[in-house]
Amino acid sequence: MKKGNQKIKYADLRHIMSPKSVAIIGASENPDKIGHVILQNYVDSGFAGKIYPININTTGKILSFKAYKSVLELKGKVDLAVIAIPAQVVPQALDECGRAGVKGAVVVSGGFAEVGEVKLEEDLIRVANKYSMPVIGPNCLGVMDLRSRNDTLFLPTFKIDRPKIGGVSFASQSGAVGSTVLDLISNEGFGLARFISYGNASVVDEVDVLEYLAHDKETKVIVFYIEGVKRGKEFAETAKKTTKLKPVVIIKGGVTSAGSQAAHSHTAALAGSAEAYEAIFRQFGFAIATDIKDLLNFAKIFDTQPPATGNRIAIITNGGGTGVLATDAVCQNGLVVAKLSKESEQSLRKSMPPIVNIRMPLDMAGDADDKRFSTVLEVIENDPNIDAIIAVALFQTPGADSRVAATLIHYATHMSKPMVVISMGGSYTKMHKEMMESAGVPVYDSPGDAARSLAALINYSRYKKGI
Amino acid sequence: MGLIDYADAYRMLQRYGIRSVESRYVPNAKEAVSFSKGKPIVLKAISQKALHKSRSGLVALNLSSDKEITQSYNQLTRKAQQFRPYKILAQRMVSRGTEIIIGGKIDSQFGKMILLGLGGIYVETFKDFALRLCPITKYDAESMLRQLKSSAIVAPDKQTASHITELLLKTSRMFMENEITELDLNPVLIHDGTYDAVDLRIIK
Repeated sequence: MKKGNQKIKYADLRHIMSPKSVAIIGASENPDKIGHVILQNYVDSGFAGKIYPININTTGKILSFKAYKSVLELKGKVDLAVIAIPAQVVPQALDECGRAGVKGAVVVSGGFAEVGEVKLEEDLIRVANKYSMPVIGPNCLGVMDLRSRNDTLFLPTFKIDRPKIGGVSFASQSGAVGSTVLDLISNEGFGLARFISYGNASVVDEVDVLEYLAHDKETKVIVFYIEGVKRGKEFAETAKKTTKLKPVVIIKGGVTSAGSQAAHSHTAALAGSAEAYEAIFRQFGFAIATDIKDLLNFAKIFDTQPPATGNRIAIITNGGGTGVLATDAVCQNGLVVAKLSKESEQSLRKSMPPIVNIRMPLDMAGDADDKRFSTVLEVIENDPNIDAIIAVALFQTPGADSRVAATLIHYATHMSKPMVVISMGGSYTKMHKEMMESAGVPVYDSPGDAARSLAALINYSRYKKGI
Repeated sequence: MGLIDYADAYRMLQRYGIRSVESRYVPNAKEAVSFSKGKPIVLKAISQKALHKSRSGLVALNLSSDKEITQSYNQLTRKAQQFRPYKILAQRMVSRGTEIIIGGKIDSQFGKMILLGLGGIYVETFKDFALRLCPITKYDAESMLRQLKSSAIVAPDKQTASHITELLLKTSRMFMENEITELDLNPVLIHDGTYDAVDLRIIK
């Protein structure tokens, strides 16, 4: 955010993310009002701090909380104001927040620049700058922080699942993509650190959000949905600094715009705005997802696996055909199939039954049990010719059971090399998939998903080593 | 906004150590012949109004005999009438090589960006290119080359690869240090273990 011409180092979002006290401006007894849902959610999620409902028409109590007509009655007591009132009166309410010393605000209300009310949005920005108050929104879902149980989302808890606590933070310009992905993350093995839906980005923008998450200790992986950025040069600088600290997975909406038609050079004709964004992401080491599924696929490998030393992949499988498909997927994603070292070959020749061919992809046969998996993984872990592992574990086979899952968990969480698992199938497989994922193993439904995710991790590892 | 004169652009490239083929404006056919010294040359009609020279038929390749040069010179001047004012440029003919494009443009959001791609007539067909924000680092230059689908064609050996990364770094510097809004070095010919920019278009 900018204050006049002077740039603030980075917007301090701590009080917005983990407030000790919250004023809900527009809180209401009427269940049809957004302010009601927000207040109810604070109650449901078990927020431990102080809750102050604010409603200009209040007669004393809302949902059994003591209610106030204005935040001015609470001078010095409020960390975060969540504002859910008609757009026309937002600037005034925000000004009262400033006068009352509120440390940050989330403006959920829509009806600003996105519908042509530019003047109203400028008023909002002016008030925020006057008090140097970080403001998220307007026109957004706001924030979710599971550790402090701070949740400004106006979506009832029965409609959208809340994720478990973890290390992945997710920022989204769009509230729709935001809530969908949040709902999906809730059903993944990994957990959420912070969620920020920043809407019109009129005060706190993409650069501030990225910078905050870059320095946030709870955030291990940043997942970002953007449609555009407001400060291109600062965004590029921040991107460069952020990826030195932690991985960023990004998806950009609106990538199909054509290059400038009236270009004077080949270069300008080729390199339109979408290409420029992609170039910036690439140059500064972002993992680029092209659909929402990959956003989640990439997040889970970055959340759980160590960096890779190279792109030589060992493929081990208890099903021949799936191993072949995995080999194809590896090659299609710019990775190479590893060659076993002489020592590994000799060792495996001794320990594997005669039906196992000692070469990549290593088909351990359908009767492979946990011991065979374990023997192979032990050898691969110590083979200097191997940088990362794809283990295909088909639970339909005679040899595979929960002991195989336990073995895979052991290696995928202890090795210094990244490992992913491919398991496809019905309820028995799903059970083991959940078991492995909740223990920190990235499990994929298809060889393509697994190879793309591994390639994203390897590209980032190479980027960090190269710069 | 306007195209920088070829001779000035040529000098600018030289200042940054970017190789481009020896070129000179020739006021008449006789001067073109004497520039040739019996070796093959190229004649190009240069005009602000004709941005795509080969498409407008304003390029004559591989001319060595006095007769060929004189005939082509006269033909070019006839074709160039519709693009007046124009000048005729004579260049050494470079034998065959892989054509690449190095370019620059100002993105409204991010600023000056540099482009590397498979060049010449393939630019618009395959759209195989890599783009980065300037100034670029050596790592960026190398990763641009790696990013091309055609990287094995563009840089089949280490020497060529290092020529191209050097060229990218020099172009990035030139772009950053001068008032340039767009530039095309297209094609740059990769040949005989070296390279030469064959056509230049630098826009202020």
